[in-house]
Amino acid sequence: MLEIFQYQFMINALIAGIVIALLASVSGSFIVLRRYSMMTETLAHSALVGVAVGLISATNPLWMAVVAALISAWTIEYLRSFYHLYSDAVLAIFLSGSLALAVIIVSLAGAFNSSLFSYLFGSILSVSREDVVTIIIFGAIAFTLLGLFYKEFYFIAFDEEVAQTSGIQVKWLNFLLVSIAAVIIALSIRIVGTLLIGALMVIPTVAALRYRQGFSRTILLAGIFAVTSVLAGMVLSFHFSLPSGATIVMCVLAIFVISLLINRR
Amino acid sequence: MHFEPAVFEVKNLEYKVNGQQILHDLSLTVHKGEYCAIIGPNGGGKTTFIRILLGLEQENSGEIRLFGVEHKKFRAYEKIGYVPQRVMQIDTSFPATVLEVVKMGRIAKRGLFSRESAEDRSAVEEAMAKMDVSYLRDKRIGELSGGQRQRVMIARALASKPEVLILDEPNTGVDQHSQQRFYALLRELNKDDRLTIIFITHDVGVIADDIGRLFTINQSLLTCNNPKEALSCSEMSKLYGIDAHSLHQHHHH
Repeated sequence: MLEIFQYQFMINALIAGIVIALLASVSGSFIVLRRYSMMTETLAHSALVGVAVGLISATNPLWMAVVAALISAWTIEYLRSFYHLYSDAVLAIFLSGSLALAVIIVSLAGAFNSSLFSYLFGSILSVSREDVVTIIIFGAIAFTLLGLFYKEFYFIAFDEEVAQTSGIQVKWLNFLLVSIAAVIIALSIRIVGTLLIGALMVIPTVAALRYRQGFSRTILLAGIFAVTSVLAGMVLSFHFSLPSGATIVMCVLAIFVISLLINRR
Repeated sequence: MHFEPAVFEVKNLEYKVNGQQILHDLSLTVHKGEYCAIIGPNGGGKTTFIRILLGLEQENSGEIRLFGVEHKKFRAYEKIGYVPQRVMQIDTSFPATVLEVVKMGRIAKRGLFSRESAEDRSAVEEAMAKMDVSYLRDKRIGELSGGQRQRVMIARALASKPEVLILDEPNTGVDQHSQQRFYALLRELNKDDRLTIIFITHDVGVIADDIGRLFTINQSLLTCNNPKEALSCSEMSKLYGIDAHSLHQHHHH
C-alpha cells in the first residue's frame, strides 16, 4: 500500500487529485443545485478542443484546455441570457460541436495516439510536476473566488429572483460561477479525463443530498465523498493498471449507491 | 403633508410584452407606514407591477421613484423585503436549514469582503423571533408545513431590516389557521414597527380591518379607496364577475 509513495508521479497525482476532488465537489454543489449538471459535460468536451490545440501546437494542453473551456462557458452564458435560447439545447449544441472540432483538429495533425487517450479517460502516469503547479495556481484562484462568493452563489441557487431583488449582481455572478467551473473542469482532465469529469462534479453532491442536511453539511459531505473516491480510485488504478478516471468514477458511484440505500424513503 | 419622500411613486406606467398591453397609464403612490393591499383579476398586471418596481422587468415608459430616487439610479434594494408567490413551490429537497435561509437576508447588506458581524447575527435572531420560527432553526426547509415555510420566507425578508415589505399572494396553499396568525403578524409589523406593507391578495375581505388603502389594478389603477367602501362598491362585481356583497359578508364572519 505504502509503496505508491515511492513514485514521484504518484505523489504528483495524489496532490493534484486531492485539490481537484475538493474543487470539483464544492463548485459542483452550486452547479447541481442550479440545475446546470449538463454544463459540466459540455465544458469538458470544450476543454478537449483546447487539449487538441495544445497537442498539435506543442503548447501546454492544460493551459489551452482552460482557455477553451472559459471561452465556451462565456459563449453559452451569453447565448442563454441574451438570446433566450433553451439552455439544454445550447448545451447539446456545444457538446457535440466541441467534440467534432476536437476530432478534426486531432486527425488533421495525425495525433490520434495514447496521449489523447489519457486526456479522454485520465491517467495518473501523465501528471507532471508542471501540471501540479498549474493545478495548484488555478485551483487557489478558483477556491478563493468560491470562498468570497459562497453565500451569494448559495442564495442565487436557492432563489435567483429574490437574490436579484435584494441587490445581488446575479448576472455577473452566474458568469463567474460557470467560469470557475470551466477552469476546474479543464484542470481535472489530467486525472479524471474529459469524458468522466462530469461525474466527479455531480455525483458527490447528489449523494450528499440524500442525507438531508443543511447546506454547509451537504458541501462538507460532498467534499469527503469526492476526496475518498479520488484517493481510492487512484490506488486501484495504480494496482490494477486501469485508467484513473474510470476507477474514480466507479468509486464515487459506489458511494452514491450506498447513500441511496442508507437513505431510502 | 408628507415631507419624507414616498416609498413608491409611480406615474403613467406603461408595460407591453409581445405587443400585448399589460399595464396602461398606471399611477400610484405609497407613503411610509402605509398598509396597502393590491387586488385585481388574474392577468390584470398586479404581479407585473411589483416585478417592475423590483427591477425584474423593464417598463416601456413612465416615471418611477423609489424612496425619492429615480428607478434607474436606485440601488438600495435591501430596503425592500420581497416575498414571492412561490412559497409552496420551493424545491423541498434543497439543502437549507431555516437558519441558513433567514441568513440569506443579510447577504446583500453585508457587502463583499466583510464577515458575518454581531449585527448580522442579532438581525437574524430578531427576524426569526418575530416570525416565531426560532425553534425551527435546524429544520430543513423541505420538512416544514406551508404556514411555517411562509413565516421563514418573511423572516428572511425582515432580516435585511427593510423599510417596506412586499408580499405577492403568499397564502396560496397555506391553511386557514396559519393564515389568521400570519395576518396578525403583519398587523403587528405595520403598527409596532412602522413597516410599510404592500400585499397582493385575493382574500381582501379578511384583512379589510387592517389595511389603510386598497388598490385595484386591471391594466391601470381602477380604484384607490378606503377598503370598506371599495368592498361594497360595484367595481368589485365588475372586476370579478361575482356578487360583491358576498365578499363583504365574508369579512364579517
